Amino acid sequence: MSIRRRLLVWLLAAVLAGGLTAAGVVFFQARAEANDLFDYQLRQLALTLRDRTFIPSEFAEALKGEDALDFAIQVWGADGTKLYESHRSLRVPGAVQLGFTTQDSASGRWRIFAIQQRGLTIQVAQPVVVRDRLAVEAALRTLLPFLVALPLMGLLIWRLVGQEMKVLESTASAVARRTPESLEPIATRSVPAEIQPLVLALNGLLGRLGAALSRQRQFIADAAHELRTPLTALKLQLQLAERARDVAEREKAHAMLGEGIARAVRLVEQLLALARLDPDAPAKRDAIDLASLALAVVQVHNARAVEAGLALEADAGEPVPVRGDHAALETLVDNLVDNALRYTRAGRVLVRVRSVGHGAILEVEDTGPGIAPAERQRVFDRFYRGESAPTGGTGLGLAIVKRIAERHGASVELGDGVGGTGLRAVVRFP
Amino acid sequence: MRLLLVEDDAMIGSAAQQGLRQEGHAVDWVRDGREAEAAVANGVYDLLLLDLGLPRKDGLSVLRSLRAKGVQVPVLIITARDAVSDRVAGLDAGADDYLVKPFDLDELAARVRAVMRRHSGRTAATLRVGGLEIDTAARQVRWKGRDVALSAREYALLEALADRPGAFLTRARLEERLYGWDEEIASNAVEVHVHALRRKLDPAIIRNVRGMGYSLVQDA
Repeated sequence: MSIRRRLLVWLLAAVLAGGLTAAGVVFFQARAEANDLFDYQLRQLALTLRDRTFIPSEFAEALKGEDALDFAIQVWGADGTKLYESHRSLRVPGAVQLGFTTQDSASGRWRIFAIQQRGLTIQVAQPVVVRDRLAVEAALRTLLPFLVALPLMGLLIWRLVGQEMKVLESTASAVARRTPESLEPIATRSVPAEIQPLVLALNGLLGRLGAALSRQRQFIADAAHELRTPLTALKLQLQLAERARDVAEREKAHAMLGEGIARAVRLVEQLLALARLDPDAPAKRDAIDLASLALAVVQVHNARAVEAGLALEADAGEPVPVRGDHAALETLVDNLVDNALRYTRAGRVLVRVRSVGHGAILEVEDTGPGIAPAERQRVFDRFYRGESAPTGGTGLGLAIVKRIAERHGASVELGDGVGGTGLRAVVRFP
Repeated sequence: MRLLLVEDDAMIGSAAQQGLRQEGHAVDWVRDGREAEAAVANGVYDLLLLDLGLPRKDGLSVLRSLRAKGVQVPVLIITARDAVSDRVAGLDAGADDYLVKPFDLDELAARVRAVMRRHSGRTAATLRVGGLEIDTAARQVRWKGRDVALSAREYALLEALADRPGAFLTRARLEERLYGWDEEIASNAVEVHVHALRRKLDPAIIRNVRGMGYSLVQDA
């Protein structure tokens, strides 16, 4: 049911109930007043009759023309004979006791007042229905304005609510006009206070949506731009291979082409890894032993380190429990170790994992060229490549590390290696 | 011709350098904006191939400051930025042409020729000097209606001389146009190539005047 219809029904019902209550109150009040008034009249009439001479013929004469009265008068003699009865046809009940009584009879309910005087019993009676009719009339008079007002109010409510609802409609069409390209907030100025929370909540949602969308767009734009570099290299390398005039030249060109393909593949993998790390999605909270995870990553890179003449060592004896996403943390450690091996020409790369209080610390330390303090923040930016960056890097490794760390509530810091040379990456898990 | 390639990506840089050398150009390669400025200051380059996203000083800034200093060397921008606004900004900053990555080696070579042609005031791809006909696009030389096969260096030397017939080019200037920094130059390299050209074309086609250098004889 629409709000309009609901409001209409309930408001009209309330108005009607109010009218009925008022009529009820008026009915009872009017009846009580009528009771008092008519009781007084009954009594006065009886007292007036008492002071009369009661010669039946005179009496009848005196009361002639009082037929129209609602009062039925009966007079009995001392011997109990009925001397007078005003409304013979009404079969008014006979006197049972003196004073006021209410009696039911075949002719209805009667209000009766009886007195005795000099052997005469005078009874004045009135049908209760007369009083009730008065009360009902009073009640109906009270109810009448309500009944007249009811359809008018209904019309008014229908119109007013309809008018107010137009604001909702305009808000709805404002929402309908929003597209992924135009997510500006909806104006709250003309919106009623009741709808304002809804509009504000909607604006909040639009804002978050817009931010997420522009993040995605920026990412795609960056990715498209970055993909051009390895693709350009591939295209040129392929053409060189095609133009090669002898075996040696062709072999050299093919080796270059292979390197180019490896770089393109790595970039695509890193882009996918970054895209999967949606900042809004909740991270997994599995129980993980960071020490064995780091050892596994070190083992994967061992052959490469040996080939490069580097010592790749792990210092992770005790289990180090953390909560998080196993695959993501593996990527984090892998990227840090990969970076260290990529930059370090000679010396060693050390991976250290230990528990600190409830948290954990992961360190990857190398004896490479390090990163100048001024550059240490920028290297976490997507696609930023340091000035001394060797070829084959994607500019995404540390951005991915940072994103994963953030999702685990961990911090990443870059500092000097042992003795001020090389680089030490420190990841602190809370 | 002697080209300066400014490109920070090692793979693209080495491939482009190699490809352009195969076209017979002497190619020097630097990787950032400051090095590019230092290299251009020599004034030996016939053309600058300029990437825009460079470390230390970006390509557009390099181009603007070169033009502000009145350096007239032709500039061909090579970049991954493909937005129309980027192209406009590049051309307005004083670039002669704009090539978007990923590009083709053949296209790069053709654009280099086109920029050089425009710069020397020529409109056709073919140079004609007396009985000599040089198709700079196909890099083919005809002498009196007969195709002549030349090596890349011989061709480069002939084209350099044919560019301004009658004008003298010193041996040092020719060496600069023919060889990059990292290429070994035999002390008699220019004489060897001149000798080869005289043998393949006509002994009288190249004149050598002591103290002035070499020039192409127009009515040979």
